[in-house]
Amino acid sequence: MSANIISTLLNHHAQAIKLVLTRMHNNAASTFMICLVIAVAMCVPGVFYMGVDHLSKLTNHMQDETEISLFLKLDADKDTLSEIEGILAKNAAIKQYALVTKEQAWQQFKEKSATNEVNNQVNQLAKNPLPDAFFIQAKSAEPEALELLKNELQAIPGIEQALLNTEWAKRLSTLLTLGKKIILFVAALLALALLVIIGNTVRMQILTQKDEIVVSKLIGATSSFIRMPFLYAGILYGLLGGILAIVLLAAIVLGFNQSVMQLSNLYNSDFSLPLFNPSLSISIICAAIFIGWLGSYLAVTRAIAAIKIT
Amino acid sequence: MIKFDQVTKRYPGSNEVLKNISFNIEAGELVFVTGHSGAGKSTLLKLIAAIERPTSGTVLVANQNISKLKPSAIPFMRRRFGLVFQDHKLLYDRNCFDNVILPLHINGISGSEAAKRVRAALDKVGLLHKEKAMPITLSGGEQQRLAIARAVVSRPSILIADEPTGNLDASYAAEIMEIFHAFHQVGVTVIIATHEALGKTVIRNRILHIDHGELKSSELLSTESLKS
Repeated sequence: MSANIISTLLNHHAQAIKLVLTRMHNNAASTFMICLVIAVAMCVPGVFYMGVDHLSKLTNHMQDETEISLFLKLDADKDTLSEIEGILAKNAAIKQYALVTKEQAWQQFKEKSATNEVNNQVNQLAKNPLPDAFFIQAKSAEPEALELLKNELQAIPGIEQALLNTEWAKRLSTLLTLGKKIILFVAALLALALLVIIGNTVRMQILTQKDEIVVSKLIGATSSFIRMPFLYAGILYGLLGGILAIVLLAAIVLGFNQSVMQLSNLYNSDFSLPLFNPSLSISIICAAIFIGWLGSYLAVTRAIAAIKIT
Repeated sequence: MIKFDQVTKRYPGSNEVLKNISFNIEAGELVFVTGHSGAGKSTLLKLIAAIERPTSGTVLVANQNISKLKPSAIPFMRRRFGLVFQDHKLLYDRNCFDNVILPLHINGISGSEAAKRVRAALDKVGLLHKEKAMPITLSGGEQQRLAIARAVVSRPSILIADEPTGNLDASYAAEIMEIFHAFHQVGVTVIIATHEALGKTVIRNRILHIDHGELKSSELLSTESLKS
């Protein structure tokens, strides 16, 4: 008996899908149209998400490389130096540190400036104006942790200044967070529009199938049987629209990538957007299928209740 | 099989269409529901097929109270019936075969089993050679026969026909009546509503005569006595 019910159910689904595919094939142009609408609406937030997502990955990467520069007081002697080195070695938040003494720094500076005009002025200086310095890499890349560490190091006696150069990265990441929120908002609005569009399309289809629905109800079709083809229509619109959105997205990325690469070359980076982003693609398809299903479910439930058989 | 107990039906904003009607139809009977147009014949059939619910009284079909059925149970109740309508209610966007297969699809039957049954049903009404034809190309009598094929394809135990010969001339009507008789012969309960004089094939059958919503007779009548 239960095997019977399952085979009945499977038959219903198979017939519904067959029916929907036939209908879509017969109305290929309008099917393509609705899929294109879905694709465009899914594509717009997709493009922006891709941009923002990769920018934020890039800034994360940059933040990883951030160092804290620790400049000692000019009059610091060898004892202070080793004392501070001892404190740094014991600090658990520090991954590694490097000491550049004032002599080394002076030497480096002189070498670097040997070829340009600054050289003359440098040579005129009677004594080394540079302090001893530690360059510290923290274990954490979190801006808050870095800030905390910086303040801690600043408090060590004999330290002139601790410098943390992540202010710009912080600002950018705040901007990107804002960008992500805007994308979410735009995506929600577009999803709402899609719900209405898909709902309306399915409602029109129901009206053209009204005779069939009435006859089916009269001869004992359940509501779920009547609903099924329309739900599959919504799901298939979503699936096809989602796939089209990914193709569209790849085309847009292809068009943009050259400019992006030129720009990132200026910053000594080989950054470019990937043509295919698996997790984004899956999200787009799932979202499109869900919106398609929900839009048609809402439309079909209302419309079928409105069709009276007497 | 079908039992009406003091059934009254009133549509919103109208008088009583059916008044206090009680009768009993046994399994395998052939019953005619007669009366002038507007007498309430269609309403009576709709009450049997769970398309309408009685305002008061009880309608029992196979010992199930139609008015107490849950909405989700109604489709399954309807599958017990084969329904034939005066206006055929065929689907003109598909051929004869696909029209007849619809009830089987609803019952979850498909493939070769379904095709076999569809051809058997078309054969019974003499339309086997027209399975690929579109319904619009058929004559009125053929369309009604197609509707009968659709009604019987899922082998219902009760066949209900509302004015099946209403728009047909006498020779077509006689053909249709013979088809219903054939189903009655094999044990199907057949209920036919008609406002016309019954054809020659009717000899002795139950007749429910309705006049202005009231059941006037539920006797075994011969065609002759009805005409007189």
